[in-house]
Amino acid sequence: MAKIIEGLKYTEDHEWISLEGDTATIGITDFAQSSLGDIVFVELPEEGESLEATNSFGVVESIKSVSDLYTPITGEVLEKNSMVEESPELLNEDAYAGWLIKVKLNNKAELDSLMDSEAYKEYCEANS
Amino acid sequence: MSGQKTALFEEHLALNAKIVNFAGWEMPIQYKNLKEEVKAVRENVGVFDVSHMGEFFIEGPQTLDFVDYLLPNNIKAAEANKAIYAPLCREDGTVIDDLIVYKLEAEKVMICVNAANIEKDYSWISKQIEKYDCILSNHSDDFSLLAIQGPQTFNILKSLNLGFEIKDIEYYSIQKESDQDGSSVYFARTGYTGEDGFEVFGSHKFIKALWSQLIKAGVAPCGLGARDVLRLEVGYPLYGHELNDEITPLDAGLKWTIKFAKADFIGKKALEAYTPQYQTIKIILDKGIPREGYPVENQTGEIIGQITSGTMSVVLGKGIALARVKKELYNSQDEIFVDIRGKKYKTIISKKPFVAGGHK
Repeated sequence: MAKIIEGLKYTEDHEWISLEGDTATIGITDFAQSSLGDIVFVELPEEGESLEATNSFGVVESIKSVSDLYTPITGEVLEKNSMVEESPELLNEDAYAGWLIKVKLNNKAELDSLMDSEAYKEYCEANS
Repeated sequence: MSGQKTALFEEHLALNAKIVNFAGWEMPIQYKNLKEEVKAVRENVGVFDVSHMGEFFIEGPQTLDFVDYLLPNNIKAAEANKAIYAPLCREDGTVIDDLIVYKLEAEKVMICVNAANIEKDYSWISKQIEKYDCILSNHSDDFSLLAIQGPQTFNILKSLNLGFEIKDIEYYSIQKESDQDGSSVYFARTGYTGEDGFEVFGSHKFIKALWSQLIKAGVAPCGLGARDVLRLEVGYPLYGHELNDEITPLDAGLKWTIKFAKADFIGKKALEAYTPQYQTIKIILDKGIPREGYPVENQTGEIIGQITSGTMSVVLGKGIALARVKKELYNSQDEIFVDIRGKKYKTIISKKPFVAGGHK
């Protein structure tokens, strides 16, 4: 069973979001890394780029597949995790430690529509 | 919609394979880990269920004359028990399929064709065969097929209880046997990975027993995902990607399979008169992974072609691809770029296969 952490928010695209003040940290879930298999390439936006909710902000690639990353929130990229770009396998090792980007939120209310850990657990069970 | 299942479908499920639909068949794309499957074949031994592929037989007094006319490569001139790779061409030189002919007897050959092209090939060959004294039959449903690939293949096969002795035959040749029920079994030293190995054609019952012996002996089950990475690492073409109905073998680096010295073969006139429009090149990226359909550009940003197959090489740890480029726009001195989601990635053009492969 994929690892799910309490207290995080989750999207239907299998991303997790944690919130500190008005800074959101986005990553992919354990369920996502496990269905992708060996992650061999990660492409992330640069600091200062603006993100719009539901748009693609980057990609993760396994040997045989390319998957878009979708942001559930609107805001400005404060930082990207260059470590996972250099060593994509970190996402397979621990998807919750290998965060992707930190975003300055424009509108906290966008987080309200996301799933909590209980709802995401049910969502994964229905999709596996 | 569910597709056809091979005789080993339940075995794949028991090994927790991920199943995908490929050419109308429910096939294992990977078992535990694609990287490990590729490594098993390069360093040790792996087994693939490729029973979806088609087997045709041509029999009769004029078999070799006919197959020599049907295909551009030398069939008649090849020795007995040899396997020969060839494209199947139309009169205009375009490619219907690529296949392997196995010379079984003086008046009998087996042809192994791509699963997606079984009906197309059968219909084409049956039209061409009319004037010849030989008969075409499709035995695709009677055979299961395993590809056992990797440097340890021969040692593993020797250690099994097959009911006969497996011989150290040459690369691209075939050993014919009968199983205990009297059904034909063919051991061909062929494959699609660049490594030493055998492809074993046999009855569903024989192949099921062989599969279970191989798995018990510790041979890694490998899926179509690993198979695609392995063939791409050694630069082999795949029909539907590097080859298709619109281009000729001369556009896809297969000039070596066209024997213009032969008296006649289907497509000879057209191919003799044809100036290739395309060239297939091998691309390596230091960063980024080239994928099918991505544009290939020169330094001025002009699109000169596109990626036909691309992946991350397990052996190199880099993105690799085959690309079809327009000959008139491609200069081997130019810097070539791949456009990945709007960003240009500089390529290294490889003259040799990305990975050497260990076959004899």
